[in-house]
Amino acid sequence: MRHHLKAGGATLLIGLLAGSMPALADFWSDAGAKFQGVTLHGVTESTPPSNYVKDVLAPEFTEKTGIKVEIETTSWDQMYDKAIKDMEAGTGIYDMVYIEQDIIYAYLARNFLVDITKALADDPSLKAPDFSEEAFTSFADYFKNADGDLMGLPMEAFIKIYLYRTDLFNDPEIQAAFKEKTGKDLKPATTHEEYTEIAEFFTEWGQGKDIWGTTAQAHTGHPASWYEFFESIAPTFGVYNWGIDADNNYAASVANGGRMNSDEAKAALKYWLHLRDIAPPESAASTWTETATTFAAGRAAQGLIYGENAAWIASDPEKSRVVGNVGVALPPTEPGVLEQVEAGEGYIGYYDGGAFGLPITSKNQEAALLFLQYIGQDSVQGPWAVAGSRITNTATYDDPAVQELDKKLGGYFTMLRDQGKLFAGAPPFPFHAQVREATAPIFYEILTGAIEPDAGLDQMAAKAEEELTNLGYRK
Amino acid sequence: MRSNKVGWLLLTPTLLLLGVFGILPFIYVLFLSFHQWNPFGASPDRIFIWGNNFRRLVFDGEFLLSIWVTLKFAFFAVFSEIVIGYLLAQLFMREFPGRAVFRTIHTLPLIVAPIVVGSVWRLMTTPSIGIIPYYANQLFGIDINIGRDAGTAFMFTVIMDIWHWTPLVTLTLLAALLSLPKEPFEQAQIDGASRAQIFWHITLPMIRPAILATVFIRLMDALRTVDEVWMLTGGGPGAATRYIGLHIWKVVFPKTDYGYGSAISVIVLYLTLVMCWMLYVGLVAPRNKGN
Repeated sequence: MRHHLKAGGATLLIGLLAGSMPALADFWSDAGAKFQGVTLHGVTESTPPSNYVKDVLAPEFTEKTGIKVEIETTSWDQMYDKAIKDMEAGTGIYDMVYIEQDIIYAYLARNFLVDITKALADDPSLKAPDFSEEAFTSFADYFKNADGDLMGLPMEAFIKIYLYRTDLFNDPEIQAAFKEKTGKDLKPATTHEEYTEIAEFFTEWGQGKDIWGTTAQAHTGHPASWYEFFESIAPTFGVYNWGIDADNNYAASVANGGRMNSDEAKAALKYWLHLRDIAPPESAASTWTETATTFAAGRAAQGLIYGENAAWIASDPEKSRVVGNVGVALPPTEPGVLEQVEAGEGYIGYYDGGAFGLPITSKNQEAALLFLQYIGQDSVQGPWAVAGSRITNTATYDDPAVQELDKKLGGYFTMLRDQGKLFAGAPPFPFHAQVREATAPIFYEILTGAIEPDAGLDQMAAKAEEELTNLGYRK
Repeated sequence: MRSNKVGWLLLTPTLLLLGVFGILPFIYVLFLSFHQWNPFGASPDRIFIWGNNFRRLVFDGEFLLSIWVTLKFAFFAVFSEIVIGYLLAQLFMREFPGRAVFRTIHTLPLIVAPIVVGSVWRLMTTPSIGIIPYYANQLFGIDINIGRDAGTAFMFTVIMDIWHWTPLVTLTLLAALLSLPKEPFEQAQIDGASRAQIFWHITLPMIRPAILATVFIRLMDALRTVDEVWMLTGGGPGAATRYIGLHIWKVVFPKTDYGYGSAISVIVLYLTLVMCWMLYVGLVAPRNKGN
């Protein structure tokens, strides 16, 4: 009898397990059943990670849930134009909007976004079994509100790194020529002085070979140049948060306690302008995309390049002439700055990236929550990282395909994991575009030579404070 | 009486559309121009500030500079388009081998979207990569860099506009020339008038309405140009090509200064109307009075 009872119990247990398995495996189709006929609309910047969402993840999600997804990929400016207009007007066209890290504070200030953590806690039936907020890297912290709730689902994260040409740096003849000229060994620079020396050497050596010593993102009418200076150059001289001190009444000028026109900022600007002068001629019309193109075309020996471009530069022979010849290193810094940053004060470069947010104006919030969880699962991260050189989940680092790509990228992913903490996203200001646009015209005049760098930074600091006063942040 | 009612009935949909899409937005912009409103400010409320936005305009160096470069751009672009367009129209009046093919090719730029025109010209002018700097350097030893040289960037925005819009002028003037009666020209030839005299005393007065209409259209277009220039230069180098349309876009969208941006828009509309009125008064009204 006891034997029969045991056998019966075992059968019942197996039956229950068997019954529950399909339900678990079928979460997406079950969850999607409620939203048949719904079409989700998203808008994002046309980048490799976003294109992967559009071309791969969205169709996969549709296949599993029956919920259609239309992702619009467009230019950076247009993306914001469309998303902000939609959320301001409350039209509810978009169910997902790309949020670059630097604009999250403005969106939070205007209450544009749904609290993802809270929404999932309020309706556990929407919670996907393979989705966990704990799986995200620390980059997710930039998308949390004051309560620690997730307000955007991290979908891409990169660091702006120092790329150099290994074929040139390891060439014995070039090494000898460099040694003869400078008395030093040719290796990736760790200081600004070394970087300048290498850049000057290659620009001179590369005459007639179409090779210059450095890239420069120095467009004279596009915010990319402003960003390169304030996010990538000034911090390596110890000027953080654009030189604006939020704790000191948003002071920008040295006179009021800010650092936008400090001696360090002025030295940084002169250093960068010199690099711009010995960079390829197209640099004066280069934004973040063109610097990558310049490097990929083999026209620069070294440069600061956004990580999102690292993968294709290092591995796509259809787009890049330097495949297999790319090394990565930390950006060069002023003596003492790296130690300062390692001690926890400041940063040496830009931790770039973005998330997909769910506008409160969306008419399909529940279905959109499903989609956001779908693209946040560990299981979809590996191929996505390979396609777009982006990592937002900790587990992605262990994916064999990612580790393989890491070797081709000269250890970029390893650097992202181990030294990502030395980089930082944009400062937590809700007035990014406003201050940028107020000061950028002066910055462009500095680039054209119409204003001297020192005087220009003085004017920019004054203009930033004027704008912050107009906006009501500076009292 | 009955036909009057039917007329109004038929006009109603058009008037409604005009009201909703034309007049209401204008009233809203006018309303905003008297407010301080930046949704990303510490206080995102809309505050009525009387005419302070308009007062601010008078002292805004960036705005005044953008008006100046826009007027320069409009003058050079429209003047060149009228002259080149007229010459091409005269050319198409004559028979020559391949005329039909040439005329078709010549009108192709008209069907290209402005943003594409900007992209194409950007590719052609990008320093050291574009075909124009390349050949300028190879053939004449000239370094062209629209990213650093303000004059060159300005010149290329004008050339791009001429390339894009001259076909419109050509077609308009060609239609005008084709519609002219032959008799005055034949009589002038019999009387021994020179080509210059025929052009100055017969052709020009007879096609004046077509020229004026074309100038009005092109002038208004040139004053509000945005997308082509945004793509080619982004308004740079510095503020060399930051034309007023681009300036308004930067104030309204990235800076989200809606009140001030609206004030600029209202002033620019007013300036455009005044310029067109002055053109009309200066060129058309005296002749009508004389007649």
